[in-house]
Amino acid sequence: MIMVRAIVRPDKKEVVLDELSNAGFHAATVVDVVGRGKQKGIKFGDIIYDEIPKSLIMLVIHDEDKDDVLDVIIRHAKTGEKGAFGDGKIFISATDEVYTVSSGAAGL
Amino acid sequence: MKEIIAIVRINKVGATKKALVQAGAAGFTALKVMGRGRLVEDKAVIAERRATLLALAQKDDYNTEKLITEFLDGTRLFPRRMFTVLAHDEDVSKIVKAIIEANRTDYNVGDGKIFVLPVLDAVRVRTKECGDAAI
Repeated sequence: MIMVRAIVRPDKKEVVLDELSNAGFHAATVVDVVGRGKQKGIKFGDIIYDEIPKSLIMLVIHDEDKDDVLDVIIRHAKTGEKGAFGDGKIFISATDEVYTVSSGAAGL
Repeated sequence: MKEIIAIVRINKVGATKKALVQAGAAGFTALKVMGRGRLVEDKAVIAERRATLLALAQKDDYNTEKLITEFLDGTRLFPRRMFTVLAHDEDVSKIVKAIIEANRTDYNVGDGKIFVLPVLDAVRVRTKECGDAAI
């Protein structure tokens, strides 16, 4: 199993979550975060905004679903045809074990 | 070294903290998160809880029934607390068991999930200790 953590624009959060649900990946956790990317924030004149609000969508999936999930997130988190700076990043990490509290059972 | 990410009910935070101390893992990070789980296909498992909540709710609001159903069957994002605990490999099962025991309810669904992730390295900032010594 793998954990996918996607940082997307807050206004794309709903779309991405809806489309993930349609694609069969309903379970997700969402955190509002602030951060900056390799653009070093946004600069307007002398003011630099380097704490830009984003949404972190976290979900754990089976290894074989990775491509589907990445495709859904990338397709819907993108702004415009080519995408733009600030559309976000996706991180993937290994997950060894998963437990459901209500049943105590291991596995997704 | 493992990272245990547990997503639990907000009113179980106190019980979880107590359970973590008893399991020997006093340090943790907690975050307020929104989330949803697997969709509940079988409405019978939430019927009892739904009836209790509807009895508590105000009668005049026409949205209440829809809201309660959506919160229970998982269509809507609901608030949860996310605990992040770092642990040595041999303590993982003990901590997981403690969290499960502290968070179990008889509502059938919505008790949370626990993920165990591998961690490459950890550093204690004060002493620069690395690896297992840093936890």
